Amino acid sequence: MPEHAAPLLRPPRHRVDPRARAWWRLQALLTLSGPMLLTALVLAVLSLLFFPGALPWLGPLLLVALVLPAIGYLVAMPRMRYAVHAWELGERAVYAAGGWFWQKRRIAPLSRVQTVDTVRGPIQRRYGLATVTVTTASTAGDIKIAGLSDADAEELSRRIGEVAQDVPGDAA
Amino acid sequence: MSTPWNGTAGGGAPTPVPPAAPEWRRLSPRTLLVHCGWLGAPLGSLALTALATGGRITGGAWLTLAAIAAVFAVVATAGWIRWARTDFRVTGESLEVRSGLVTRRSRSVPLHRIRTVDLTASPLHRLLGVTVLRAGTAGSGEGGGELSLEALPVAEGERLRAELLARAATGAVAEDPVLARISWRWLRYAPLTFWVVGGVFVAGGSVYRALHEIGIEPWKIGFVRRAFEEFGNGMLWLTVPAALLAVIALGSVGAVVLYVENWWNYRLEWADAGTLRVHRGLLTTRSVTIERARLRGVLLREPLLLRAGGGALVRAVASGLGNKEENRKRSGLLPPAPRREAVRVAGGTLRSPFPDSPVTVRQDLQGRHLARHPRVALRRRRVRGLLFAVLPGTALLAGLGAAFTPVLLHAAWIYAVVTTPVVLWLARDAYRNLGHGIVGEHLVARSGTFSRDTLALRREAVAAWTFSTSPFTRRAGLVTLTAAVAAGEEGYRIPDLAEGVAPAFAATATPGILDEFLTHPARNSGPTAAT
Repeated sequence: MPEHAAPLLRPPRHRVDPRARAWWRLQALLTLSGPMLLTALVLAVLSLLFFPGALPWLGPLLLVALVLPAIGYLVAMPRMRYAVHAWELGERAVYAAGGWFWQKRRIAPLSRVQTVDTVRGPIQRRYGLATVTVTTASTAGDIKIAGLSDADAEELSRRIGEVAQDVPGDAA
Repeated sequence: MSTPWNGTAGGGAPTPVPPAAPEWRRLSPRTLLVHCGWLGAPLGSLALTALATGGRITGGAWLTLAAIAAVFAVVATAGWIRWARTDFRVTGESLEVRSGLVTRRSRSVPLHRIRTVDLTASPLHRLLGVTVLRAGTAGSGEGGGELSLEALPVAEGERLRAELLARAATGAVAEDPVLARISWRWLRYAPLTFWVVGGVFVAGGSVYRALHEIGIEPWKIGFVRRAFEEFGNGMLWLTVPAALLAVIALGSVGAVVLYVENWWNYRLEWADAGTLRVHRGLLTTRSVTIERARLRGVLLREPLLLRAGGGALVRAVASGLGNKEENRKRSGLLPPAPRREAVRVAGGTLRSPFPDSPVTVRQDLQGRHLARHPRVALRRRRVRGLLFAVLPGTALLAGLGAAFTPVLLHAAWIYAVVTTPVVLWLARDAYRNLGHGIVGEHLVARSGTFSRDTLALRREAVAAWTFSTSPFTRRAGLVTLTAAVAAGEEGYRIPDLAEGVAPAFAATATPGILDEFLTHPARNSGPTAAT
């Protein structure tokens, strides 16, 4: 491993569909940001109705502990995800990047590919998106590409199927 | 017993005796005593009865004794006949065994078909210094493909096994197929496991729960409560260490018992060139067979205490051993044993020397050293330890102390002073254990401080590579590499590699997979160009 010519792993070529941002935003709203904002609202209203004296310290506390994190997550997560999520189908391997805080780049040789699953959740369907999961024999080797457009997902799963057949391998 | 010639192999006609045929050999006469072994239980119980009744033997007992004597006569005669009429020899190309009183039965197995030779000795056999030899042949089914000789003196058994396997052609293992056997001196490593302290609490917990289930509250039993009260009133500086000592002693005994139960009669061997077999267990006997093709690698584990005692244990990384929990039970290749023995067994399993290399700054090509990870990894471990072990405890004690009693404030600074060096030492140890390299057909990775794990994984077994980062590791220029394998724990982590080294390492370990996704920064532009 000569040090000055050490190769680096470049990001995968193709980004996911831009609509994925809206999907992630809605997801954030439903799972984390929404409940947090709602809690803050309820606490504020209750305090306003019954303990108006608590507002001076409860207000800032709610703002810092609930409202700002919720909004921050809602705004930042989809953007960061969109910057990271990418995929590429190479000659001999599938390559995908994902995550936002903890990021993962995973590469699996096509000779080890066992199945290709395309899943469309109810929210995903609204945005015309799909998740493609490429499974290998190892559960730690499954590649998940979330936020592809329907057309891309179909094309990708078809091509992986084709290429995986051509590449010699035992998929074991 | 009806077919006079039962040539197992397609050897055709019975082998005519070659001119220089070796003599027929007898089984050990001590076999006759083994046949009397069953007498132990009834005679023992009879003796106990006699003892209990004060030496008076009742009529019923006489009857039992007569029955035993009759059965003994029959069994002993049968055994004697079997012994007297059985002999065997090894000719140039086959093992021949003759047996039977009326119908003489001769079996001949060509040596090249013998795949396994198994020597088994029960405690009784061992007492008498004899052993049962079983020769398994290729494609053997239920019993049919096996020849057994009961029993031979141990030395002769070993010699015969060597004789049988030495002449076996390809397929059988040329050298001694047994990689390891239990040595009871290893028992000293048993207390160096989690079970010493944890086991006592687990056992205590389950006893408490069992009592609770049947409606007994242990706290309400008089002597228990009195004992606890006395414990509290007594001299704590004496009673607390005494209690701790008692827990450790109890745990050690438990650990030893568990070790004996799990690893009694332990044997690791190549059943044939392509099959590894582990045999062990006292009450529950386990016999695990692992095909070599399914063996992806070997894991050498050194839990902290065991490492301090110079011990290690070995696990197989193999597919088809069940889910994770079953895998943990079945993948054991060697119990806690001396480290050198563990390294030897790991090497024997891999069929190449286990790359037990020290970690230095850079890997050399012969694999004598593993490459060290960047120094930032040490800082990360220190910060993590201080942040997650020292800080919370100190903050909690200090907070409580400020609120309630100044005694806890002292406890807070004492806690900080005591834990900080321990955490720093552990962090340094964790860092020094980090290493990776490629040795021949295997990629090697070492990490961990509470359990230092050295993994040797077949390079072609890697089913996928994962590069994981967090904002902290990205800033530090580190990346954690995970090799996905369709075996064992599925994913094996190589933590905190330099981000400039990880892609090259993965690409070298598994050529062809990563190459198209790599960029080669211009020479002299520095190894860690920003992406």
